[in-house]
Amino acid sequence: MSIAETHTPPTKPAPSAAVQERRTAWALSAPALVLMMVILLVPVAIAVALSFTDYSLGNSGFNWVGFDNYVKLFTRSTYAKMFTATFTYVLTVVPISVGLGLGAALLINSLSRFGEVYKTIYFLPVMATLIAMAIVWEFMLHPTIGTINRTLELGCGTVIESFWPWLADGCANGMPLWLGDRQYAIWVVCFVGIWQSFGFNMVLYLAGLTSVHRELYHAAEMDGAKSGWDRFRLVTWPALGPTTVFVVTITCIRAFQVFDTIEAFYPLGAGPGKSAYVMMFAIFEKGVQQNLIGVGSAITVLFLIFVMFLTLIQRWLVERKVHYG
Amino acid sequence: MTRDWWKHLILILGAIVIIAPFYMMVSFSFKSPGEIDRGEGGFFGHQEMMVDEHCVKLRDPNRDEVTAARPQFPGQTDNDIRATLVAQAEADCAMRPAIYNYTKAFTAAPLLRYLLNGILVTASIFVIQVVVAVPAAYALSKLKFWGREAVFALVLFCLLIPVHAIALPLYMMLAKLGLTNTYAALVVPWTISVFGIFLMRQFFMTVPDDLIDAARMDGMSELAIVWRVMLPTAIPALLAFAIFSVVAHWNDYFWPRIVVTGNRNLFTPPLGLREFKGGADGSMYGPMMASATVIVTPLIVAFLLAQKRFIEGITLSGMK
Repeated sequence: MSIAETHTPPTKPAPSAAVQERRTAWALSAPALVLMMVILLVPVAIAVALSFTDYSLGNSGFNWVGFDNYVKLFTRSTYAKMFTATFTYVLTVVPISVGLGLGAALLINSLSRFGEVYKTIYFLPVMATLIAMAIVWEFMLHPTIGTINRTLELGCGTVIESFWPWLADGCANGMPLWLGDRQYAIWVVCFVGIWQSFGFNMVLYLAGLTSVHRELYHAAEMDGAKSGWDRFRLVTWPALGPTTVFVVTITCIRAFQVFDTIEAFYPLGAGPGKSAYVMMFAIFEKGVQQNLIGVGSAITVLFLIFVMFLTLIQRWLVERKVHYG
Repeated sequence: MTRDWWKHLILILGAIVIIAPFYMMVSFSFKSPGEIDRGEGGFFGHQEMMVDEHCVKLRDPNRDEVTAARPQFPGQTDNDIRATLVAQAEADCAMRPAIYNYTKAFTAAPLLRYLLNGILVTASIFVIQVVVAVPAAYALSKLKFWGREAVFALVLFCLLIPVHAIALPLYMMLAKLGLTNTYAALVVPWTISVFGIFLMRQFFMTVPDDLIDAARMDGMSELAIVWRVMLPTAIPALLAFAIFSVVAHWNDYFWPRIVVTGNRNLFTPPLGLREFKGGADGSMYGPMMASATVIVTPLIVAFLLAQKRFIEGITLSGMK
């Protein structure tokens, strides 16, 4: 190698501005792209692949078992309970939480004073650490020393008993065990879910309401919409359409992911008679605790399908609105 | 006002249900075990002196201590000396229930450590999310390159995947790498916030191109443009994202529960609370509620101080 050669660097033409911009762009998005692949896409692929195997952590090999895991999910009674609990929870929490959110937003919006105070209070549970609040609820629901049953017992021996047979029954035969009672367990879990989530929906609806134009109400009134219900039906509800689509979707997705309250109430199982055996808990129990990765992955895949399906419906509804709007 | 009375009635009833658990939590954190058991004492409890049995037991005098104390009590039998020492211990161990509960919260479990872990994990997650998401958002909004549409489509697709849902494969990957029970396991799955990329991109789209051209004229590098020109314009979005991210990860229980098993040094506040609950016999309710109060309070106080920002931040997460 001659000296002359080492001293003259190969003359490369300066890259054009476009090429440089392209390089910069890829360099800037590279970390995000790599992480998206490794943390989001690869795990989804792994879950799909392993759902067809009998893999366990620590085993050197595994067998392909075809759709066995999925067949188990749809035939065994444990998983039937899982679907029942999950859908009971979602189908209870979503409508009530959205309904209460809308109701609270409408009430607060129509107030001339103190609206902000209610808004703040109703939003508190959204900020609070759910597991901490679940522990407090558990204590309040304690059969003997909990606040709820103590309060109910105050009604015993008063006139309230005579027109509330349920309370009379409780006074005579003992108040419900709530979390320990198969009849009540899942509903109590739902109640805590609603308690925690409807403030969030309320805030979204309040934001939606600010975008409803005053003139629309005047116009509706001209057209003969006199009652409050007519105004709601003809103006407010349609105007809140996009908000509702979003609120329902996000509440659904969050409801599907319920875990904290269940684990706090029932650390060892999933409630009396597995009545609160929701999907996230099943993934945790089967996949992580019992190391049955195949079944756990199959539940994961079903779960992802539910969630993606919901989001796609939402996007479709939103886009339809945009095109027609 | 008078016409609205029924609205206020409904809203106040709702507010009572919302506040009840917060009220009970704080109230129990002040009360003695007996008051909690019997359900008396109002909000603050009577704050009568109570004796910490555990503390007395620790100071239970043994034979040597009794012998050593003999010169102090001349002419008394060993039994008398013992009784005096026990009485002394009881006097020293007496304290108000509120102080007892909060002291126990920090001493029965390393709550301070848990809180520091919580701060460390939450802060690391947020910082890494920003470092990764902001340059990508800039590239997707302001740079023209072949493949941009594809990258953005990928971002939109990834928005569909909730990280909690893929916890099992993530857990396996970390287990294979031997990373479970490390800080890395708590942070790594959250380093990429697709939502953060999306949010910042939407915001950057509104920044005029002239600003960037001017910065380039001044000879700023692209990285300098990202951090010193673009980011300052997006402070509101960044703040909203910060609130969204911090609230989610401070309160997160599911993920730490999966990757941290047993190593208490790595516990985040929610995990610590759970452990407290596992070991709680009836007498520990007060300290447990004190821990819960300590863990819940920072975000609630921050929220009360900056309500508008918080509500914006949390709802912005919705406005995809």
